[in-house]
Amino acid sequence: MSGRSGDQTYYEILEVSMDAPHHEIVRAYEQAKITYAPDSPALYTMFTAEEAQELRRLVEEAFRTLSNQTKRKDYDHKILGREKTTSATSNEELPDFGPIPEPTPLTRTVTTPISNANAHIKSATPTPQATSTQAVPAGFAKHRFGVYEVKPEVEEEITKQLSFDGPFLRKIRQYKNINLEQLSKETRISRSFLAAVESDDFDALPAPVFVRGFVVQLARLLGLDENKVAASYMEKLKNKGK
Amino acid sequence: MALNTIHSKVRGTANANSVIIAVGGGKGGVGKSFLSSNLGIFLANMGFNTVLVDLDLGAPNLHTSLGEPPPKRNFHELLSGEIETLEECATTTQFPKLRLITGANDHKELANMNVAEQSILMSALFKLNADFTILDLSAGTHTTTLDFFLMADRHIIALTPDPTSIENAYRFMKAAFFRKIKRFDRQLQIDKVVASLMDSADSMGIKVPADLLNKIAQVEPVRGAELKNIMNKLRFDLVINQTRSMKDAQLGQSIQTVCSKYFGTPVHYLGHMDHDNAAWHALRKRKPLILEYPHSPIYSQALSIARDLASPHLKKAVV
Repeated sequence: MSGRSGDQTYYEILEVSMDAPHHEIVRAYEQAKITYAPDSPALYTMFTAEEAQELRRLVEEAFRTLSNQTKRKDYDHKILGREKTTSATSNEELPDFGPIPEPTPLTRTVTTPISNANAHIKSATPTPQATSTQAVPAGFAKHRFGVYEVKPEVEEEITKQLSFDGPFLRKIRQYKNINLEQLSKETRISRSFLAAVESDDFDALPAPVFVRGFVVQLARLLGLDENKVAASYMEKLKNKGK
Repeated sequence: MALNTIHSKVRGTANANSVIIAVGGGKGGVGKSFLSSNLGIFLANMGFNTVLVDLDLGAPNLHTSLGEPPPKRNFHELLSGEIETLEECATTTQFPKLRLITGANDHKELANMNVAEQSILMSALFKLNADFTILDLSAGTHTTTLDFFLMADRHIIALTPDPTSIENAYRFMKAAFFRKIKRFDRQLQIDKVVASLMDSADSMGIKVPADLLNKIAQVEPVRGAELKNIMNKLRFDLVINQTRSMKDAQLGQSIQTVCSKYFGTPVHYLGHMDHDNAAWHALRKRKPLILEYPHSPIYSQALSIARDLASPHLKKAVV
């Protein structure tokens, strides 16, 4: 491993800017392939055969990541700083919801400590079959994957919400304690597409007609009005997408 | 003594307003003089006061590329103290705004310049009254050549797509790079750090100059960053000469990439000039290309290089 490869980002390796469109990355990759080719005259006396091989490997690695929109997004998050990484890439974590954290302890005081504790264990390990038949404690609601703690302020935000975009769908999913694995199993939509829907990554998504299908299924499982959500999401896609 | 008085004059860019362009490249016959003379002509035709300086000390022939007779005056007069400034030995050419300064043809000892003489010539070059001063350097990596190359504001590397030329151009760039590091690490008092890093380069994982600069910055954050700043000013401008195919022209892009990876400092591919019989015919006739073959492709290529070269300095030069 050489020091310079460790310091350089994939963008620096391919010599493109961080907001370079896909075709520029392809062009840079083709240029880099010529530059670092084994018989390239430009490498002569500057880099040894092994170093050139390492450079070629880095170029391939960089292109593999940057040419894939989903991988590129993840990579961008990674290099844009640690604090961003933790909140943006871990979908399983519940984000801070709402501007004031006070209401949460309030609802907790309503429920009895015992049922509260039980519910926490259940919601932490949601098993689709087992929980569906069990009684739901006060302050909790259930769906086909398990139970979740009802937070009035979140419910209100959902009912009031008129425009549904990816991040908001993710919020709802996390609030309802459903993970992507379960959704993917149920809907038979691949995890990467679900993640793309949730991160508004329109480039990584297939044709709009399929996306609409995804969103409808997603909305149904999240207990939302599927027509409202799909219309709103497709509007977003039309405006932001290509 | 005249030599001493001139030597004691302050050297530096204090009162200089000219942009110094050095054309080097290590190997002979890659078109340094051809490039310099044509750049000079184009810049002069654009309206800039331009001075061409033939620093091929042992074998000056820039006047031939320009289609001029061997000049009667030369900068040896300055070194021997006969004249005070370089302006006096600058000869006019057929191009109104272009002047030429060369070394003497008959002084054989001038091929080797001592440090004092070099210093006098450098200060005189800094004080030249011109918009652009173009230094046509000699082949090889002699310290004198490197010092003239490093004194410039713009550092042009001329090379051809041949492996020998590329090898020599790389060697020249490496030599220039390390000479500059050496000059400034002592000023910044980090010469010991640099020396110890270079001694243990292998164990420290330092393979290329870019690694060295990064390591220095790690060990000595402030002065290392300062050194990096200084080294960033050494921006090589590449010109590929005698290209015969698209592949040759693309080579410039590759060399630019490899160089910036290697040195860790900016490298810029300025342009290429095709292999063209027009250049050869013009030289045979001892006439500049611009007058003999204004419709050749190489004419427009040289012109665009001159334009690109001049564009960052336009505001500075034309006021």
